[in-house]
Amino acid sequence: MQALDHRQRAERVERSLAKCGPHDHEMKIEAAMLAGTHWVNFVLHRMGVTKAEQDVMHTYMLTVNELRKYSVADVWLMLAMDEIENLRPAHVRGNVPGGAAAADRALELLGKIRAKATQQFR
Amino acid sequence: MNIASHLEKIGRFEALRARLDSLEDFDLWFWVTMNTGTNAVNVALHHAGVTRADDVFPTQPGVYLIPAADGQLLPGFHPLGDVLHVGRPKVDAPVPEDIAEMMRAMEVIEHHRDPCVRGEREPTPAIAEECERALRRCLELLARRVGKGT
Repeated sequence: MQALDHRQRAERVERSLAKCGPHDHEMKIEAAMLAGTHWVNFVLHRMGVTKAEQDVMHTYMLTVNELRKYSVADVWLMLAMDEIENLRPAHVRGNVPGGAAAADRALELLGKIRAKATQQFR
Repeated sequence: MNIASHLEKIGRFEALRARLDSLEDFDLWFWVTMNTGTNAVNVALHHAGVTRADDVFPTQPGVYLIPAADGQLLPGFHPLGDVLHVGRPKVDAPVPEDIAEMMRAMEVIEHHRDPCVRGEREPTPAIAEECERALRRCLELLARRVGKGT
């Protein structure tokens, strides 16, 4: 997918987030994962690190070499996405208390990912 | 995860789906649709005794976050509990026909995941309707199963 398409998809997911309520912590985390992944692909494509046909889907599915390479491009972005991904087993698939706080953290990270991506590539 | 928690999630996911537009909000609408159905399949598998309803949470096929004695969640190997997606992992044990039909309905939904959410295929009303019909069938079969007595 082209960089601009990733940006538009991320923004579409973020618009939908507005329809989530206080009890929708699972889908806030999932939306942060979906939109954040589009922002990461937007940055990697714009940096010329990955091509349109080499999209990242989940940080945990990357090979060790890919993760190393993309971390050279922007280690903070990769760590932020990894933190969002790590919230999913307990709070999206699981019933661990603290889902609302986990969702707040995911959205905070998404906001920082978006800010970094759009400041770097307007 | 235990059946009551799955059902509680399905109820909240259905309420969110009602607030989302299947085309304008396609990505999140699709994602919550898929999650609703996956929870339904997990309930049915637990109900039939095919998979375990333990409160352990999958990180990847075969690996779960497991509560330790001090309440901390630690990754470890565990017998099949919740599946992440239908087919991930594949359930090797015999599955009752109604659950097999639920799984086939979920495959209809999953078929659209990568092209429409990860890829460049624009969602259409026909795709959204197909996913909606598949989820309704999945939930209808679940209701019949758990209605028989949990």
